[in-house]
Amino acid sequence: MSTDQMAHLTDAEDGASLWHDAWLRLRKNRAAVTGGAILLVMVVLAILTPWIAPYGYEAQNLDLGATPPSAAHWLGTDIFGRDLLTQILYGGRISLAVGFIATAVALVIGVTWGAIAGYVGGRVDSVMMRFVDILYALPFMIFIILLMVVFGRNILLLFLAIGAVEWLTMARIMRTQVQSLRQQEFVEAAVSLGLSPFAIIFKHIIPNALGPIIVYTTLTIPSVMLLEAFLSFLGLGIQPPQTSWGLLISYGAETMEEYPWLLIFPGMALTVTLFSLNFLGDGLRDALDVRGSKD
Amino acid sequence: MRFFRLVILACAVSGTIVACGSGESNVESGNRLGYLHYGNGAEPQGLDPHVVTGVPENHIVRALFEGLAVKNPKTLEPEPGVAERWDISDDGTVYTFHLNPQARWSNGETMTASDYVWSWHRALHPDTGSLYAYMLYPVVNAEAYSKREITDFDAVGVKALDDQTLQVTLNAPTPYFLQLMDHYSTFAVHPETVLTHGKMTDRFTPWTRVGSIVSNGPFTLEEWSLNRRIIIKKSEHYWDRENVSLNGVYFYPTENVVSEERMFRAEQLHYTQVVPLDKIPDYRSQDKSPYIQAPYLGTYYYLINTDRPPVDDVLVRRALSYALDRDTLTRTVLQNTAIPAYSITPPDTLGYNPPKLFDYDPEKARALLAEAGYPNGEGWPGLEITYNTQEAHRKIAVAVQQMWKRELNIDITISNQEWKVYLNSVSQREFQVARRGWIGDYVDANNFLDLFITDGGNNNTGYANDIYDDIILNLAPKAKTREERYALFYKAESMMMDEMPIIPIYTYTSKHLIHPSVEGIYPNLMDSLNLKYVTLHPERRLNSEIN
Repeated sequence: MSTDQMAHLTDAEDGASLWHDAWLRLRKNRAAVTGGAILLVMVVLAILTPWIAPYGYEAQNLDLGATPPSAAHWLGTDIFGRDLLTQILYGGRISLAVGFIATAVALVIGVTWGAIAGYVGGRVDSVMMRFVDILYALPFMIFIILLMVVFGRNILLLFLAIGAVEWLTMARIMRTQVQSLRQQEFVEAAVSLGLSPFAIIFKHIIPNALGPIIVYTTLTIPSVMLLEAFLSFLGLGIQPPQTSWGLLISYGAETMEEYPWLLIFPGMALTVTLFSLNFLGDGLRDALDVRGSKD
Repeated sequence: MRFFRLVILACAVSGTIVACGSGESNVESGNRLGYLHYGNGAEPQGLDPHVVTGVPENHIVRALFEGLAVKNPKTLEPEPGVAERWDISDDGTVYTFHLNPQARWSNGETMTASDYVWSWHRALHPDTGSLYAYMLYPVVNAEAYSKREITDFDAVGVKALDDQTLQVTLNAPTPYFLQLMDHYSTFAVHPETVLTHGKMTDRFTPWTRVGSIVSNGPFTLEEWSLNRRIIIKKSEHYWDRENVSLNGVYFYPTENVVSEERMFRAEQLHYTQVVPLDKIPDYRSQDKSPYIQAPYLGTYYYLINTDRPPVDDVLVRRALSYALDRDTLTRTVLQNTAIPAYSITPPDTLGYNPPKLFDYDPEKARALLAEAGYPNGEGWPGLEITYNTQEAHRKIAVAVQQMWKRELNIDITISNQEWKVYLNSVSQREFQVARRGWIGDYVDANNFLDLFITDGGNNNTGYANDIYDDIILNLAPKAKTREERYALFYKAESMMMDEMPIIPIYTYTSKHLIHPSVEGIYPNLMDSLNLKYVTLHPERRLNSEIN
């Protein structure tokens, strides 16, 4: 192997076989595959909602009021006579978007922050990680409420606010990964070749830490969706007529004795999604566990 | 962390402030010990009679303090309170109150007429900034003093002739003046106590705290745990203490109406402030239902800030009002628990009926909106409805939002605020459209119409009209007959509603769940409750579980 190749090919070759192995292992895990398939369906439904939803999501029929599931309204209607299936579909768009966007925000900030702290080390590391500790110590609700008060309520900000809270754990995981990776020969080789720290972190270290990152990401998505549900429950999340699963559940809970379907169906949608994500996350963790398979 | 969140969520879902206790319920222990457990809606802003304005405050303040005359809980006719009797001059402008010699402050001191002079001075002083100062405006020179037009309080028509005799001189015969004596803004406060904690005109000083407060009503303040409960206890010095049956009352801040209803069902409350709409059909169908509904002297409406575009345009305001289908709203969302309103005064307020200038007319609404420059909603800059966090307000806002969207094709956002934040936004006029309810302080159309005098403390809309002010403040009070007075009211109200600084939505009904062991709470137009008359009968039990 020439030194020339080391920079490019080794990663690619090893990576390819690693991903291939992981894929084979993942396929054997039936729960994970089912979870992944359900998620895929959910995402497709969410994207297609404006075309496939049986009714407009704002369309009220006050005289109809709350009705149990029927042929016209498969999942029933709420007290404003709005079709619940439509509400769940539109709510899914928001809930899934919060899940994925907020997680992506957390991912970008957390990975970058953790990688830099872990790679540079020393005093920079101390300062950066103490900053993370301080944010950890802040009650996250107060933090989010403050953000909402200062910048006003809007959906994008909600995504960012949740992401800004969730990146902390990601940063810690990343830092530990980087600390162990930077002792390894291929990193020393890259250093001796004169690559910039930036290139080393993003070309060599992060790809090698992808396993734990992906796993943690799949675990973050459900927790972010729960957080959105919680915030909307408190009136800090999104505002009517937009809706999310969290809001639907919170309204449903208030009338669960009179109109139980308003709680049951949104609850099922959220539960199935969270289960799927957790199964997929478990499957990915097993599949990507390098030590378990390579040694 | 995640687990913790789930626990919070679970608690919020089950809404259990209740599940902590074991064994005896509040109702059982309350019936045994003579304590009423009262769901009071929200946490009060304060207890100073000259400062507070809300309904939750009213309940507590009227238990702690007593006016010169009080309303009979059944007939609403004035009956003796601190004053054992009163004389009214033939021309109806001079009231002479004879104080009950037994009337005592809760520290045992005798109440004097000069306490009233001092207290009314405080209530009217511009520095006190009482939003209800206008309650005393029928008194000679009271308005001028309150607006700093005169600075000598001796010129105001209230005099202590001796320790037991208070003479009040009015500008004009005021048929509802005795009713005003049961409003907390005219109550007496204990001068020395107020002065111990600050100047006469200071707001929110600690004089109303437990241990400091001196009051003169049937009850005294025992405990105030913020956002948890307020306990009052029967007063040892109240003049009519023999007729007070309760040993005390627990007031709970029950902002969440759903948990309030659950608390009632778990026998944690004797009395709920409201009933969740979705539960009403269930309760209605029960035998010996604890559900009590009565017409109520109050109007639910949307305040409009007439200085903020797009609602600074009267055409837009009219369009919004025409586009609102109040009949459907009250029939469906409100489950027939309210009456559609088209003006500010409730129908048949002591024989006065308000004008109805418009009705639901979407065609007209669209035409008006087009005339205002937004044909079919084009170019609409957006509008926000602000409401205080409560399930019932949210439902109405969501329904209104959709009606406006459907009829006018305009986008509306809605946002909720906690009660104190909401009160602040409204008084600072930081809103475009805000939900507001006005509950009559006395049974007279004047009580609704004088809200909208220029710069009135509760106007909040920016509506200002000299002719309107003149009718309400000068002409109507001097009217010779009831018919003449009502005709003037009708004219003024028509003028105001034509400008549409508010969008009336419905007339209230009062709705409570009252435990069968409670007696002495009578449905009336004022939803007026005098805790003095409440008795508990432990042998009467709640009928059955509700499914």
